[in-house]
Amino acid sequence: MLRYSITLFCLILLTVILQQFVPAFIALYNARVFLLLAVFLCIAVTVPLPVMFLYALICGFLWDTQCAISTSNLDASVYVDSIQNIRFGSSILLFGLAGALMNGFQPIFRQGKWYLSALLTGISTFLYCLAEYSLLDFLRGSFTINRGVMLQISYTSLFSLLVAPLVFALLFFIARISHYQIVVTQKRSFRRFT
Amino acid sequence: MKPLNLIALLCFLGGATWALTRSDRSVRSIQNAYYSAISPFLKSGSAIEEKARNFSNEVTHSRSLEAALEVTKAELDKLKLIEQRFDTLEAENARLRSALKFTENTKFTLIAANITRRQTTNWYKTVEINRGEESFIGIQNPVVTAEGLVGKIDLIAQDFATVILLTDKSCQVSAKVEGSADLGIISGRPAEYGKDPMLILSYLPKNTNLKKGQRVFSDGRGGITPANILIGTIESVESGAMYSEALVHPAVNFNDLATVFVIPREN
Repeated sequence: MLRYSITLFCLILLTVILQQFVPAFIALYNARVFLLLAVFLCIAVTVPLPVMFLYALICGFLWDTQCAISTSNLDASVYVDSIQNIRFGSSILLFGLAGALMNGFQPIFRQGKWYLSALLTGISTFLYCLAEYSLLDFLRGSFTINRGVMLQISYTSLFSLLVAPLVFALLFFIARISHYQIVVTQKRSFRRFT
Repeated sequence: MKPLNLIALLCFLGGATWALTRSDRSVRSIQNAYYSAISPFLKSGSAIEEKARNFSNEVTHSRSLEAALEVTKAELDKLKLIEQRFDTLEAENARLRSALKFTENTKFTLIAANITRRQTTNWYKTVEINRGEESFIGIQNPVVTAEGLVGKIDLIAQDFATVILLTDKSCQVSAKVEGSADLGIISGRPAEYGKDPMLILSYLPKNTNLKKGQRVFSDGRGGITPANILIGTIESVESGAMYSEALVHPAVNFNDLATVFVIPREN
């Protein structure tokens, strides 16, 4: 378990760096492969709840560190109204909620039905992005969700859905070399990938 | 709930609360430490990316040469390739000439930078440039092109910086309208589906008589953005209960940014 958890921690750090090189697809309404979230969600379904919370804390913290923009040291004569952005740390809660959702379906995953968890990764990504956008939009006082935003979120979710089987294959591999059982019928499930 | 899960949940909420209560200065320190830590990886990654791109280009080139030897239309294909390359160079030349002219015409010291990444976050309108503290630029420095104002530096690292674009609501600039004494604040507006991003000029006097087509410039208030940098042109004006607002079409095409110029603080 410990070896598996440490390997996953390294995988998260690697993903954080890889995420820097994943561009947004301008032609697809700025949708992107939200690699960090996809990897986290896949991990969330394979680990116990306390470990999931630990990873949610790490991923949310790192994601906010990458994305937070400044709201202070602004010129008061220009910035008449205070600027509201998503507060640093909010992603930790969102990662925690999305991870809890995935972790709740762990019994199904442990039966070897990884494809249902992959589907749930797409749904969780959709909910995460929608929650993040709604929060920002609400804070900025408009609360308007137009078609472009919905398409951006949908494409991002679709990318997560497509990436999830690859991440699960990697997790099965890591579990095997770490001698950690993530599914009851692990051998059979892993063979399906190979 | 199992005691271990409960303890984990409480620790998680404690950690989240700690992060949520960080001041902006603390967040900046965390971000600086983070980018310093991953900077070597980013540099290595960029180098690998460049090598891969060069290798890919070489392979493509070799393949086209091989094809040129094998088929009778080789010379034609080659000429087509040359023509394409010529077009690219011509476009690049025109862009650089335009940029050079802009540099000569302005009174500021400008630092040229290339856009390395677009839309670095999910929702904020940002781009990353290949200039950082090493180039003597700083936070809140305005970023411009030959067409007009692009945005401001938001986050800065040793050799790169993040620019928050004018189309984001977080980027606000004091503005004036040509042929009018009215002043207002320009900020971004959420882009509508299938339409160009627009700006909002707010806090205009209630009975303003601005017209469509009038140009909007920065007015220099606050001292961060120099005065008289073109921002855009007025599309429409709407009167409110206390203030009026104008919809402004930005002068810069934000989808076609390649080279930008940072105006450092000493200006």
